[in-house]
Amino acid sequence: MQEIIFEGEHLLPGNLGHFSVVLAFATAIFSSAAFFKAFRSPDETGWGKSAVIGFYLHAAAVLSIVASLFYIIYSHYFEYQYAWQHSSTDLPWYYMISCFWEGQEGSFLLWIFWHMVLGLILLFTAKEWKYPVMFVLSLSQIALTSMLIGVKVFGYKLGSSPFELMRIVNESGPVFSMPDYLTRIKDGNGLNPLLQNYWMVIHPPTLFFGFACTIVPFAYAMAALMQKKYTEWIKPALPWALIGVMVLGTGIIMGGFWAYESLSFGGYWAWDPVENASLIPWLILIGAVHTMLIYKARKTALHFSYLMVITSFVLVLYATFLTRSGILGNSSVHSFTDLGMSGQLLVFLLMFLVLAIVLMVVHWKKIPTTSLEENAYSREFWMFIGALVLIVSAFQIILTTSLPVINKVFGSNMAPPTDVIAHYNKWQLPIAILIALLTATAQLLKYLKTDSKKFWKEAAVLGSISLVLTGIAFWWFELNNWLYFILLFASVYTIVVNFKTAWPFIQGKIKVSGASVAHIGFGLMLIGVLVSSANKNVISRNNTGQAFFDGEDQKTVKENYENIYLEQGKPVDMNNYRVTYLGDSSKWVNIYYKVRYEQLDKEGNVKNTFMLYPNGQINPKMGFIANPDTRHYLSHDVFTYVSSVPKKNEENDAPFHNEKKHELKQGDSVRTNNGMVYFDGLHTKVDRNSSPELANVDLAVAAKIRIVTLDSTYTVEPVYAIEGNGIVSIEKVSDETGLRFRFMNIDPKTEHILIETAERSPRKNFIIMKAIVFPYINFLWGGTIVMIIGFLLSIQRRITEIRRSN
Amino acid sequence: MKLKYIIAIVLIAAAIGAIVSTYGDSSTYVAFDTAVENMGSEYHVIGTLNRDKPLEYNPEKDANHFSFYMQDSLGMEMKVIYHNTKPQDFERSEKIVIVGKALNKDEFEASQILLKCPSKYTEGQKPGEL
Repeated sequence: MQEIIFEGEHLLPGNLGHFSVVLAFATAIFSSAAFFKAFRSPDETGWGKSAVIGFYLHAAAVLSIVASLFYIIYSHYFEYQYAWQHSSTDLPWYYMISCFWEGQEGSFLLWIFWHMVLGLILLFTAKEWKYPVMFVLSLSQIALTSMLIGVKVFGYKLGSSPFELMRIVNESGPVFSMPDYLTRIKDGNGLNPLLQNYWMVIHPPTLFFGFACTIVPFAYAMAALMQKKYTEWIKPALPWALIGVMVLGTGIIMGGFWAYESLSFGGYWAWDPVENASLIPWLILIGAVHTMLIYKARKTALHFSYLMVITSFVLVLYATFLTRSGILGNSSVHSFTDLGMSGQLLVFLLMFLVLAIVLMVVHWKKIPTTSLEENAYSREFWMFIGALVLIVSAFQIILTTSLPVINKVFGSNMAPPTDVIAHYNKWQLPIAILIALLTATAQLLKYLKTDSKKFWKEAAVLGSISLVLTGIAFWWFELNNWLYFILLFASVYTIVVNFKTAWPFIQGKIKVSGASVAHIGFGLMLIGVLVSSANKNVISRNNTGQAFFDGEDQKTVKENYENIYLEQGKPVDMNNYRVTYLGDSSKWVNIYYKVRYEQLDKEGNVKNTFMLYPNGQINPKMGFIANPDTRHYLSHDVFTYVSSVPKKNEENDAPFHNEKKHELKQGDSVRTNNGMVYFDGLHTKVDRNSSPELANVDLAVAAKIRIVTLDSTYTVEPVYAIEGNGIVSIEKVSDETGLRFRFMNIDPKTEHILIETAERSPRKNFIIMKAIVFPYINFLWGGTIVMIIGFLLSIQRRITEIRRSN
Repeated sequence: MKLKYIIAIVLIAAAIGAIVSTYGDSSTYVAFDTAVENMGSEYHVIGTLNRDKPLEYNPEKDANHFSFYMQDSLGMEMKVIYHNTKPQDFERSEKIVIVGKALNKDEFEASQILLKCPSKYTEGQKPGEL
């Protein structure tokens, strides 16, 4: 067979990428082996040096993979499958970054990149822990880079390369046997419209950085076991665990904010399997931070710290398995399609799980324990209980999220709960109450032992203050459920207690108040979650109270009626707002629907007016993708999205009737049933490409027609053209008014024209919209920021501690 | 030591509670006949759209009423009523998963509809067919 020479391909970046992947894989293997030798045989100093050089090479290779892939996407080299599948030429550059992690390969690359960055930092900061810690990290880099290799080994495809060529992947496609196939690929498949949001540019890297951070405490724990330095790892690992908690938490909340700002499910959290998958390791990592703190203060709970740190990392791997293996199917907005890597992912997961279990079992008895007398009046006791409660919380979430996995393993046929949110809230709401109360209690106590009388006195005073504040807040937020009262009390109590404990420090040593500040943030977040979801109000709900169909339960009918029909220009009263859909406009691929909100007072007078522009794009592959718009106030948000728009096609239109011919000169007008029609003159600047019939005409004239209706003005330009001896007439339809115009003839001397009009009922322009008010959601975002500040303070404090002790 | 055991028992109880509640709350994938036999209980039903019968959605009259006919895997057909807007691209769906309950032996009220479309975004058009 003759070799085909393909034209116009850019093979260099792909080859460089491929080569870099192989190099990164090889250097990861080399480094991990050399790091292993380096800490096993400390006398042979050569190993350490070559391992470090190997890792530098690895870092360079990873950067080169990233650069090659970005170059391919940026240059629109659609000969590459990845660029074709995840990008298109019309994307602005910042969304090209998002293309990067739309595909599985790119998201693995992101993870590899962060591990590489962490490795470089550890080379300089890990000191005597450097070699064993870097061994574990390099080991994970072997597994991760193998996901990008995309080579068949003994019939099994190892990984999936982002540098595959289209013509190789789709060998059977007849197009790909043509040498000039590239000229036939006009554009890429494009970026999923849901990801075309600026939060999607920063949410995934943040989340992956958080995921990546969990390997550091894990690596320290493994290093401690391998080196038999069972206790010393806690100190250097603690700041990393805190960084992981902070970054992962920020990433999760950013995801929630993205969902809130750009998805139309109406909220920031939906207990979606993928959201859960990132939440679970976070909960465990928080538990790990607390048990590590217990160890630092009281030299106890060391075994438990090991287990928590190991579990948090293994759960990150499990989360990866859940989201990448395709096992979640279509049940999630984040679902990646299965690339046939589930086996490989499972091996990755088991590799580290087995390594950790073996090391734990071997060293279990040698890890020192201090048998402590349990004292309920000590901080560590309640911190420990808190960690246990976090485990219960994580366990419950894992269990329900893993239903597809359970089905697969046991061959069962369980579907997710019909009301997923109620199912999770039933568990997580009481747990949140417990956690908040435990946080407050632990902060009131000292390590080791606290005078019980003093504790009760303080608890009583602060509790009473909190109770009063809770009562006021309960009334102010207009809550009405005793469970909410308890949760609100728990949150307020946590804030009050932590404020009290932080107070002396805020005045002086703010650095050591990190824990209190983070807990205050947590309390504020809880209040935000509570109030915004308890009093979430779908204001577009159908309030007529009438059941449209006999025999249906009135209540369910009413509850389900959450969308409102808005005809262009017709105001509709909705709750205490009057809303009017004013029209649409498009920008790039998005159509913006302009909606005017007028807030009414009790007398029905307008006291406040604002515009919202919920938008949507009609995507050729996914249909209508709604993107909400939200008006933010300090006390509440008005959230609006368009749930449905009429299809702009002709199938629903009535036929034209009432055809009439009119002879018009410039300035004349005609009355029709659908509006006044004005003839504003002629012009010859007709675009010959606008219709195939105009391609070869000798002369073309357009009539400027203006239609004035009660509330708007529209223009159309029917065309009259001469081709040889024949006549071409291009009719024009004004859909908004339901008028059709045929340009029949023209008198060249007088410039009088003959126009035929026809009428039908005008096409109604409408949107179907849903609007929700979220009260006090700013507590959630504000609390998050406070919590992050608290973490920053804690991280700084722990790093200073290490510096001092050196 | 006593406290330790109490905590352990509470923890185990909580874990068992979580298992029981997951099992109890979980729904099952069934065919229409089961849903009709247990009227009022909520189920997941998988099926396909009957394209020969009308889809009813008239937003001007009622933006929150959509109905269609669905055939389950055993060939039984029911009218499905959904009190929400018509999902976009509904006609193109290959497989439909509905969550809800039977109202009578002919009608099923869905509270959620999940569509499985032939062109899931990431699969897209086949480049070989350009």
